[in-house]
Amino acid sequence: MRYGMVIDLQRCVGCGACALACKAENNTRERANGQSFNWADFLIWTEGSYPKAKTHVMPVLCNHCTKAPCVENCPTTPTALYKTPEGLTMHNAELCIGCQNCQEACPYSVQSMKDEPRQYSVLSYNEEDKSAHPRWIDGKTLIEACTTSGAEISRRTEQVPPDRTRFKHPDYGSTRRPGIVEKCTFCAHRIANGMEPACVEACPSEARIFGDQDDPNSNVSKRKQKHKTLRLKEKEGTEPNVYYVRNYAGTR
Amino acid sequence: MRVRRRTFLKASAAAGALAGLGAGPALNAFADGRADRRPNRARYAPGSWVSTTCQGCTTWCPAEVFVQDGRAVKVRGNQHSKQNDGTLCPRGSLALQQLYDPDRVKVPMKRTNTAKGRGVDPKWVPISWDEALDTIADKIIALRKNKEAHKYLLMRGRYTYMRDMIYDAMTKIIGSPNNISHSAICAEAEKFGPYYTEGMWGYRDYDIANTKYAVIWGCDPLSSNRQVPAAIRRWGDLLDRGKVIAIDPQQHTTANKAHKWLPIVPGQDGALALAFAHVILKEGLWFKEFVGDFKDGKNLFAAGDKVDEESFAEVHTHGLVKWWNLAVRRCNPEWAAKVTGIPVDDIYSVARGMAEAAPNAMVWLGPGACMQVRGAYAALAIHALNGLLGCVDNVGGTLDASKIPVKKMPKVDAYKDELAKQKHKKMDQRGYLEFPSLKKGKPGGGVVTNNLADGILNEDPYDVKVAIGYMNNFAFSCGGAARWEKALAKLPFFAHITTHISETSQFADIILPAPTAMFEKWGWVKSKQNRHSFVSLLKPVVEPLWEVYGDETAVPYLIAEKLAERGFTNLLDFYKKEMKDPETGAEPKNVSEFEVYALKYYTKPLWDGSSKDLGDDIAGWDAFVERGMWNSVPYAYKKRWGKFKTKTKKFEFFSETLKKALTAHAEKHKVSVDDVLKATKYEARGDYAFVPHYEEPYVVEGTEEYPFAFLDFKSRLNREGRSANSPWYMEFKRLDPGDESWDDVLKLNPADARKLGIKAGDMVRVTSATGTFTCKAKPWEGIRPGVASKCFGQGHWAYGRVASTDFAKAEARGVNNNEIMPAEYDRLSGSTARNGGFARVKITKV
Repeated sequence: MRYGMVIDLQRCVGCGACALACKAENNTRERANGQSFNWADFLIWTEGSYPKAKTHVMPVLCNHCTKAPCVENCPTTPTALYKTPEGLTMHNAELCIGCQNCQEACPYSVQSMKDEPRQYSVLSYNEEDKSAHPRWIDGKTLIEACTTSGAEISRRTEQVPPDRTRFKHPDYGSTRRPGIVEKCTFCAHRIANGMEPACVEACPSEARIFGDQDDPNSNVSKRKQKHKTLRLKEKEGTEPNVYYVRNYAGTR
Repeated sequence: MRVRRRTFLKASAAAGALAGLGAGPALNAFADGRADRRPNRARYAPGSWVSTTCQGCTTWCPAEVFVQDGRAVKVRGNQHSKQNDGTLCPRGSLALQQLYDPDRVKVPMKRTNTAKGRGVDPKWVPISWDEALDTIADKIIALRKNKEAHKYLLMRGRYTYMRDMIYDAMTKIIGSPNNISHSAICAEAEKFGPYYTEGMWGYRDYDIANTKYAVIWGCDPLSSNRQVPAAIRRWGDLLDRGKVIAIDPQQHTTANKAHKWLPIVPGQDGALALAFAHVILKEGLWFKEFVGDFKDGKNLFAAGDKVDEESFAEVHTHGLVKWWNLAVRRCNPEWAAKVTGIPVDDIYSVARGMAEAAPNAMVWLGPGACMQVRGAYAALAIHALNGLLGCVDNVGGTLDASKIPVKKMPKVDAYKDELAKQKHKKMDQRGYLEFPSLKKGKPGGGVVTNNLADGILNEDPYDVKVAIGYMNNFAFSCGGAARWEKALAKLPFFAHITTHISETSQFADIILPAPTAMFEKWGWVKSKQNRHSFVSLLKPVVEPLWEVYGDETAVPYLIAEKLAERGFTNLLDFYKKEMKDPETGAEPKNVSEFEVYALKYYTKPLWDGSSKDLGDDIAGWDAFVERGMWNSVPYAYKKRWGKFKTKTKKFEFFSETLKKALTAHAEKHKVSVDDVLKATKYEARGDYAFVPHYEEPYVVEGTEEYPFAFLDFKSRLNREGRSANSPWYMEFKRLDPGDESWDDVLKLNPADARKLGIKAGDMVRVTSATGTFTCKAKPWEGIRPGVASKCFGQGHWAYGRVASTDFAKAEARGVNNNEIMPAEYDRLSGSTARNGGFARVKITKV
């Protein structure tokens, strides 16, 4: 068993349904302090000149690398970041000390997107001693006694965030506490229950295929066989388990 | 390199020290070390998927919401849907941030500052529902006492078909003709094309799954235009199976992924369509089974001269030779290339390509190509290609909808008293000489939404005294938005029903908090995609956090009760007597029963077993509510061949249907058709007006020399214009090609930017005939030189903490296109012009 994902860029239309489904599923917060908190995000660039220009969109997420630098550089004992036998790169929220070494080691992350402008970072860091969901503790109202506030909605729904999807997993909660990093889990809590990752299920174009790379009959294996594959920053030697096939704007 | 915040030394103690803080997981699962650290104890908290409808755009997707302990936590498509295959586009998830928006209105509010204007604090105070409804009822009763019931106005925005209760019945029974919808700021010009060729006033369904050649014109089906998830699902295969051609000045997603992108000069769409027709006719490539052929088999169009009408025998079409003689024969590709900016070779190759694939081809007409001043004729010319190639109602072509067996609104006549029966003109001036608005062939048949502002301001035909609006934001969404601020400020009494404060609300006297459509109210919608019509229910999947009442049914019922208390019982009588529970015959005793009975009344044929031959067989109301939707049988190809709802029953290249409508309008005003055309800003005269023909793009006077055509487009993240207060919208804004997250950029071709000395990130002042704003410039290779493009949706000065940078000071994040786009119209359809380069701008670096 070796989990992996194939993203078919011809099928992908760059709509963002995956990234929003991820935010809804994993209850990730809004961007702040150089951290995106987007476990699913995008790499977008335009190349060429009018009228031959093409815009490329690549959905990005944690690559669940076979040789994961985040794990190798995690200083805790046991390490907060670790590889499961099925190939997931997992993060144990309890063990994490928020040192951000993983962000520095990961070729797909930065410690601060503010200091080092990037389009994405698969690892994000929750600042220490600050609410991980400030939007929902904010009592500010636009019009006193007439419009509501984040704090009031979370009080009335008894959840932070109010649309929090509740689930349990031994390694992580459905929200994060201050002072730790966070990243894509391949929705381990879902796959353990026979479901696909939220981004896969939500994709309206069926561009994302998830499954067992060791099973030659899995859709992931078949698609890897059928097409030339590409992985991000292959030269880094991390052996990502997220593969891209075909072209986003390849028909002209 | 960045200095690490922590050292390795902290590591050993950290886990223990932090345990217990926040929502941490249990440690015991892996207490013995790595081998046991397996996600085998993962659990999903209880929850269930509940069906409803996403109204983020007019696709109106059947949807489902995952509900955990009474909260909406995530969304997906309805698993029964034959349209969206159980998935939604990004708008679905964005709806969660509208439901749980920290800036939602939670109580009825009353204005205490009588001064009205942008930036003027209305000094809102909370009031009870009773006080709000009493006030509204008093105002309506006062109007009726003064015999001026017609001075009541209902403005409708996003709706479900329960609109009948507030928009139709209530307005008519009170005694006003003024139920004004938003439709003409949406895409009425699109409907003009199919109506005056094939008798269909509506949006087409497109058979994407079976097409071989898709010409996508003035829209981006992967982002908008009424079948978004259906298109997204099928596009990857279409790109393998067939060819996609995109015609648009801007490289949107469909254009980016297309086999060919034709970056047309804004407003020249009609010219290109006519040149395609020219090639198809001249080269004998039309679809003969549908159109017919020359009697002796020889293509007389080849010479390019006038042709004898008698020489051609048409089958399912009418007026082909007339059209050729009047218009097409002169529209050769060499001419079209000059005005459209599209190379001659591309015109030939696309015309031949679509003809080769015909009839399994489609010409997809979008608003960019026709929501233009004079756009009615571009719509005709573009849609006529579907007739020429036999794509209408054909495999892989453009389709109508399968029958949807729902009930119509019961007649209100018996509930109208003498006052209500009086005839008055409508406030949007539809049917005036300069506003023919020929919906379904009827002069003055369609709404002229944006002109309502002028009607109010000029008190023409009269003054409005009491107005109610629901889920509309005309002060933001209509071109020439500044006019609306004045018009709304002039209303003596205005009540707004809305989920959020908006620019329009800031001019209200009373605000009523509304439920969100997707999560908190009853309603139903119907549409079609992927050959299947559908009906989808909206329902309260979660308990609202505050006391809110459904805008379309509950609020009018509550007002009806108040009117009845004041002695005017007609409206309540209508609601009670006509909206009985169709199963028991019981009259509704309260507002909750009314909402459900009304829904049951309309949808009964879908679940009572009477029409299972037409679609899903659903056993009873409860099953329908749970399932949440009904699918029709697939649309039958060629269903309307030989019986189009035009004057001739044929697909009309010479539109006898339009001739009749225009003549009726002219006769009504005792003028000639040419006089009508002159008054409505079209160039055509004589018979030319009845065929798809070329009209030079109209440019607002005085701005002809401004260097850029302004291009307004819609975001794939716009839930109508209402998602700008969502952080997720801002975060992923860059998914609109060329756009930037947390910003609202003006895109222009890098060559143009260089000439103006503008670099990425520079602030620029954009000035039109109507207004000016300042925003960030974004040189981008995906846009035609001479065009400046900005997305619609931001620039809300009163919408919430994200959409407005400072709500109290009325400072917007981004800028609203409608402040620089003048109020102009395609007057034959009544549409507000949004495209076609009529709004020209000059750009200066600031």
